[in-house]
Amino acid sequence: MSLAVTVLQQELLPEGLNISFKLLPGIIVVTMMLSFLGVGYFYKVADTENMWVAGRSIGNVENGMAIGANWMSAASYLGMAALIALSGVYGLAYVVGWTTGYFILLIFLAAQMRRFGKYTAPDFVGDRFNSDAARALAAVTTFLIGFVYALGQARGMGLVGMYILGDITAVLPIPGVSAYQAMMILFMVVTIGYLALSGMLGATKNMVLQFVILIGAFLIGLLVTGWSAGFSTVLPQLEYGALISELSAEFSAPFAGGSYYLWVATCFSLVFGTCGLPHVLVRFYTVQNERVARWSCTWGLFFICLLYLSAPAFAAFGTALYGSEIGAVYGDPGMSSAAGDVIVVLASQLAGLPTWLVGLVAAGGIAAAVATVSGLFIAASSAISHDIYANIINEDATQRQQVLVGRLSIVAIGLLTIVFALDPQQPIAALVGFAFSLAAIVLFPMFFLGLWWENANRQGALAGMVSGLVLWFIPMLNEGNFGIINGGDGWGIEIIATWMPAVGSALVATPLVFLVVIVVSAVTDEPPVDTKMMVRQCHSPDPMPKDKTAADVVAEKTDNVPPADD
Amino acid sequence: MNETDPDERSPDSAERLETDGGMTDVQREQQVDYLDVEINLLKPATPFMRDHLRIIWIGFAIWTLTTFGPITLTRIAPELMTATMPAIGFPLHYFLIAIGGPSSALLLSVWYARKRDQIDEKYGIAQMRTEEMETPTETTGEEVTATDGGVDE
Repeated sequence: MSLAVTVLQQELLPEGLNISFKLLPGIIVVTMMLSFLGVGYFYKVADTENMWVAGRSIGNVENGMAIGANWMSAASYLGMAALIALSGVYGLAYVVGWTTGYFILLIFLAAQMRRFGKYTAPDFVGDRFNSDAARALAAVTTFLIGFVYALGQARGMGLVGMYILGDITAVLPIPGVSAYQAMMILFMVVTIGYLALSGMLGATKNMVLQFVILIGAFLIGLLVTGWSAGFSTVLPQLEYGALISELSAEFSAPFAGGSYYLWVATCFSLVFGTCGLPHVLVRFYTVQNERVARWSCTWGLFFICLLYLSAPAFAAFGTALYGSEIGAVYGDPGMSSAAGDVIVVLASQLAGLPTWLVGLVAAGGIAAAVATVSGLFIAASSAISHDIYANIINEDATQRQQVLVGRLSIVAIGLLTIVFALDPQQPIAALVGFAFSLAAIVLFPMFFLGLWWENANRQGALAGMVSGLVLWFIPMLNEGNFGIINGGDGWGIEIIATWMPAVGSALVATPLVFLVVIVVSAVTDEPPVDTKMMVRQCHSPDPMPKDKTAADVVAEKTDNVPPADD
Repeated sequence: MNETDPDERSPDSAERLETDGGMTDVQREQQVDYLDVEINLLKPATPFMRDHLRIIWIGFAIWTLTTFGPITLTRIAPELMTATMPAIGFPLHYFLIAIGGPSSALLLSVWYARKRDQIDEKYGIAQMRTEEMETPTETTGEEVTATDGGVDE
């Protein structure tokens, strides 16, 4: 084996984590995966209407839980505690960005999106701006977001999987494949296999189940960890405060892990990325009416807060236990990013919890990753089958063909994710942060201006999306992500790295894209009156029938003819 | 959990409008209005939008303070902000960021959703319920209705 591979294997072995095959946790995970597959099989559907948005029949609290589940990815469950442990207050930018963004989504977009009534983000962009090119750009962006976001999830599955199943390469040696890689591939294959069989209806049911498992595992794990280590009693979410003064200064010193600018830029990116993420927005198409859209957004935030108020406590406990049982957390060598990414599992293990309980926490991490990957891959595959294939390539596509293309694209994005997740260059939360920057730069301005300014037009949208994509790639390549430039070192241009870090590039780029859209729209022709009326319909307080879109209402008014399709 | 369930709070006040079939004149009038007014975030064109945007902007302003305020204050006055809080032992900045930020957003969301319900009530806007959803020309099917039954708690 070459040196590079050896180094890689060391890098992705979390120190201190008990890596061995454990029967009970193994059974918990297998049971969980089987129940997902069972539920998926039960709701297996063949027609696209049900496949994409679950027949738009999902209620308030349930939709809130689904929002929560596909939000609580490996990035929230594992990655956030990791960043808080490793980077202190800078890590809190993720806590704040990933929760408070929902308020912006709620006040500016959720109900209006519901009224617009289109299935997917590319559908929205394509119809609002009357352009197949805009639709294609949005579809490509959706696909890219799903891919980058899934990289972080794959890393999480691989790392946590090692706690549960141990090093499967010891049993089944595959040359050149490390324990992490084998585990990551195993769990990605399971996820893809499941997704290829069930559509969104299954996934939604699943997500409520996954939410319950996930939040239960996390909160019980935290409670018992705090209790048995003597840090806390019944409310660890508040009690960890008293522990902070005993931890190294890096844990709470204001700008030890990142500058003020970086904090604000990261938080900004995450907030507006939240409002542009296709797999989050698609949840608002599944509700009865816009009131349910608003309240399920609020419920979603509540369910998310349960986890997000607890993650810093887990990070504090993990940091304390790591410091006393393994070694210094900060400095050289300090805690590795791989150990950081499993700090939640590691903390439970170091606190001496019984194996099955640690296994439950670990299983929750895997459920988190599976739930999010499901949502992402569905959004990505519908972008391909619905927006690119059925709308552009083959306009006469039958439902059967669409479903087939959808399934093939799920397999394709899965394979792509596996290949790039073999050697992930960043911790989980940072990988996911890149996807948020992309959503904040390219999609958020389209949604926001599209819904709130009727004069935003096709030319403006196209110019904005193209410049947005370019602006997103610049810092990504500058910092050497994807390993394309200079063998992964990137251009390393200092000024870009400082003022436009990839994880917070939206702070600079999103306003620029707004400017481009506004200026280009202002100097070109106004959009057709039908389009303007569609935007107006999104803001009307009149109730809308569930099976109608804004476009139908406009068509009825202008032609006095009910829409032919649907 | 039930107190915020929308289905139970849907204002029944205004005269039950015929949502199937044709629309009443009142409704048509309102619809004509909305399709003909300009939508511009900065220039609300109707009383409803003016009321709505007022709470949106108030909420947004408070949100900006609770989200970016604590970290900014910490930058300006680090000594003051890192002081240890009595009783719970948090450094002040840590508490305001980690707990204050998310909680404020949640409270603001509840506030907004309620305010918006009040505005709906003021303008006599009733949300459609599942039974009223399907228009008569539509035959989207039993499957949807069947799943509804299991979904709504």
